[in-house]
Amino acid sequence: MTTERESDQLLVERVQAGEQKAFDLLVSKYQRRLMRLVSRLVHDPAEAEDVVQETFIKAYRALRHFRGDSAFYTWLYRIGINTAKNYLVTQGRRAPTSTETDAEGAEGFDDADSLRDINTPESMLASKQIAHTVNAAMEALPLELRTAIVLREIEGLSYEEISEVMACPIGTVRSRIFRAREVIAEKLRPLLEFPVDKRR
Amino acid sequence: MDTNETLRAHISALVDGELPQADVELAFAALQEKDGKVAWDRYHLIRDTLRATPAPALSPGFAERLAARLAAESALPPEAGDSGDRSNGSANGATESTGQAAILANPGTS
Repeated sequence: MTTERESDQLLVERVQAGEQKAFDLLVSKYQRRLMRLVSRLVHDPAEAEDVVQETFIKAYRALRHFRGDSAFYTWLYRIGINTAKNYLVTQGRRAPTSTETDAEGAEGFDDADSLRDINTPESMLASKQIAHTVNAAMEALPLELRTAIVLREIEGLSYEEISEVMACPIGTVRSRIFRAREVIAEKLRPLLEFPVDKRR
Repeated sequence: MDTNETLRAHISALVDGELPQADVELAFAALQEKDGKVAWDRYHLIRDTLRATPAPALSPGFAERLAARLAAESALPPEAGDSGDRSNGSANGATESTGQAAILANPGTS
């Protein structure tokens, strides 16, 4: 039985031997996962897609240096995160403030009154508000905390894998994930301690 | 970090299945308290919410555009001075895991 890591490595070795088509298979496999990761760091989908494309180009150019000591995907994610960081720097971006993200997110958020008008259950409204709050809090997190929690919660990486991707000790990974959760949980607190029907 | 915060940090690691065995009893004891139970509930709520949030899809022409750019890149040329000995060279071992290749791919990043 070939593990996923081993099959990736076989494809990598084919690319290294000059078989460019093998890289297309890796692209096909990882393009959506990479987009899911990058879109949490670069908010605009079109810009995120550019970063994903650039990531694959850089990975292709650097592939000759890849020796398989780490899994291909942790290596690819690291390039993706570095490319996203560089993109944000060159665009002169900073992490958005919570005020900005709240306002931005609110535009896409279904109005509570209209939901009531169509007799949407309170639980659905609460779920939407929770989702909005969690995602707004995520976007306002410092990049290092956001990256760590995305790699854990969305990509499902272990602390060891995240430490490889982020080039930091496992203790730092643990601390970043905890701090991210604390910040988000604090934003959720008013919603959860004062249920939706008691906040009006 | 105060005691409650330390215990919540343990619970956070427990949620991920990454808590050292030595701290497990402490974490389970903390889960008997209200603060610990609330943290457990909220960390899982955050996880479930993040996982339920759809990611933006790639645009329909993405694969073709990338393929065109890759086609413009010639097949990987042999590295100058590459002896072909993969057990040799500074890109091996821990150097790779800390991302030498990624940095080579992205020299603007430290």
